[in-house]
Amino acid sequence: MPFINYQEREITFKLVYYGPGMSGKTTNLMYIHKMLDTERKGEMIILDTEEDRTLFFDFFPMELGEIAGYNVRFNMYTVPGQVYYEASRKLILDGADGVIFVADSDPLRFEANLELYRMMEQNMLSYEMDPQTFPVVLQYNKRDIEDPIPLGAMEEQLGLNGIPVFESVAVRGEGVMDTIRKASQMVIERFQL
Amino acid sequence: MTEKVKSETREILSKLVNNSGAMTAILITKQGSIVADAGETSYLNITAMAALVAGMFSATREVARMVGENEFSILLQQGKQRHIHISLITDEIMMVIVFEDYNRIGQVRHEARKCGELLTASLAPSQEDVSSAKDVSEPQFKEYALNLIDRIFQG
Repeated sequence: MPFINYQEREITFKLVYYGPGMSGKTTNLMYIHKMLDTERKGEMIILDTEEDRTLFFDFFPMELGEIAGYNVRFNMYTVPGQVYYEASRKLILDGADGVIFVADSDPLRFEANLELYRMMEQNMLSYEMDPQTFPVVLQYNKRDIEDPIPLGAMEEQLGLNGIPVFESVAVRGEGVMDTIRKASQMVIERFQL
Repeated sequence: MTEKVKSETREILSKLVNNSGAMTAILITKQGSIVADAGETSYLNITAMAALVAGMFSATREVARMVGENEFSILLQQGKQRHIHISLITDEIMMVIVFEDYNRIGQVRHEARKCGELLTASLAPSQEDVSSAKDVSEPQFKEYALNLIDRIFQG
């Protein structure tokens, strides 16, 4: 559920980019941040290691604008992808209203994608979020590599029916906006005042 | 939240800032959203601060659990010139106090504890809040929001 501040008449949604290490979560976020008008975005915070890998999370707030007397904001987060940061990933998922799962299209990362997705579902259950109904969008990133994982392969392995799927090359911005647009729409459609 | 409660919350926070000699007091949710603030905030990016403090608090809660505690109700970060005192107000809301004179830590703690009780009562959403939210037409809200999203995230 989003946070509604009746005092300031603000509604804040939380969107989380999830996925294995180096799949392109931060790249997605940085591209969106770059493309948004200045008045719509806050400063982007990147907490990374010396090797440019996300340590805790990346974050920026995005102002949607005033709707029906409420200022509506999306707080955008990424999680760290490395397996040993599972505790951080779980914490960041807490209170999320929607998830963009960024999968790496490299066939060598197929198992890592599946493992992270399954762990995400476990984490959702621990917060009493139903993975079947929770807004999740699947993005197959790095589609410019040779012999990428075929579309549908992850859904088949994970038993996902009807999940919205997008192809992307986040370093070039391809597919990034389509993915976030769909995820935001799903979050709004599910919202109940 | 009614205007009355709104000003009450601000008043409680402002009193805390005055009585403790702190620079800033901010109420944030565990998810990292700002509820209210008082004192000087122009030197701070409070949105980012809220997200970071919420993350820090969550991480510390997990550490607490590892050593057999449910959570640590107070976090204190001591710097050279500025310090941060973070305390849980309700299950969902925490208060961040930024202060400069470390000798005032006792006063900060005392005021934080005192304000905690007042804020707990003040922050409970009233029936009026809920009815006021219900006044917003949900289909209309969704339609506007979806249009905005289409415009903002053009490919």
